[in-house]
Amino acid sequence: MAVVTALEAEQWLIEKIAHRLGVATDEVSREVYFDELDLDSTEALILAGELENWLGFELSTTTLWYHPTVKELASYLAEESTHRATAA
Amino acid sequence: MRRPREVRPQVARRFRSAAPGGRTVYLVHPGALAATVYEGLAETLPNGAGLTVLDLGAVPEYADAALTGGRAATTVEALADRLLAAMEPADGVRTLAGWSFGGVLALAMVRAMPAALRPERLVLLDSIAPTEEYKQPDDALEPGLLLGWFAMYLGAKRGRAVDLAPDALAGCDADGGLTVVLDAAVAAGALLPDTPLPGLRKLYDTYVDGLLRNNRLTAPHRPEPAPLPLVLVKAERSLIPGDATLGWPPLAPHGLTLHTCPGDHYTMLGRSDSLDVIAPLLHTS
Repeated sequence: MAVVTALEAEQWLIEKIAHRLGVATDEVSREVYFDELDLDSTEALILAGELENWLGFELSTTTLWYHPTVKELASYLAEESTHRATAA
Repeated sequence: MRRPREVRPQVARRFRSAAPGGRTVYLVHPGALAATVYEGLAETLPNGAGLTVLDLGAVPEYADAALTGGRAATTVEALADRLLAAMEPADGVRTLAGWSFGGVLALAMVRAMPAALRPERLVLLDSIAPTEEYKQPDDALEPGLLLGWFAMYLGAKRGRAVDLAPDALAGCDADGGLTVVLDAAVAAGALLPDTPLPGLRKLYDTYVDGLLRNNRLTAPHRPEPAPLPLVLVKAERSLIPGDATLGWPPLAPHGLTLHTCPGDHYTMLGRSDSLDVIAPLLHTS
């Protein structure tokens, strides 16, 4: 399992969100709350599943709730990824 | 880490106020679809009628269980008490209704209400009775059945029917069936063409956990017969299509009236032709 940095996670999230919203990547702010984006709950769960597949580990469905912006989620993912790689 | 935003809605969501002395419909909504699905119903009710949705999505011990494995640390009776507490003091005529699992809770609410405050009848929208004959262990909910319901749900969520051939899911396990649903959903325009299977799997798992939560809440519940007449509105494409009564007769000593509306278990809440059937049943005394 590869370690993911916060920058890589941010880029991945912004690309995927921009694609799902049909906007340019520079239109997705890393600090805006997910629920302020035009991303409904269906899209958010699909994104979470795709994210798990990319990371190679399962995320709680509440992860996006507790880390509600791209910046915060990316930071958490980098931390979690490092933790899991170290423990493996 | 910043604290999560508090975006949880109020339990009692008033979609329309009743005119003075007018009837207010209280409708118990167990989630799956956003409560805004009832905007069409609010518009279809006659002038002077009010609509308040009792949204279980705003009850953390219930709503969060679908996100954390499908086990809610509560009971049907406790949830009924919670919803009753959210209702406004009676200031006019009231109708009580419940969609899907909301019907089970609405019956428990009626039982817990003082007799003087009970409505004249209870309207059940495609709700399955919580009787022993209709309770199922978790492992009886097979992938073929769940995937068919999931396709229905996905179509309703995205406003595009996800049609499957009658035997499309026969013998499928969850992964195989999800590929079938994914292809059909993309073809229907309900999902983007490059939606990944792991993403749909996450959505499916959360949907199933919501169903399991309701199933597990129903399992230990021992309902008493309804102390008022029941009205059941069944969708043409109900969760149990071949069953006319969905198991309610043993709980209906004061009578059970049956109606059918267009649509499926989910779209029945938003289709105008379905609301034309449902609205008069909620409003007529």
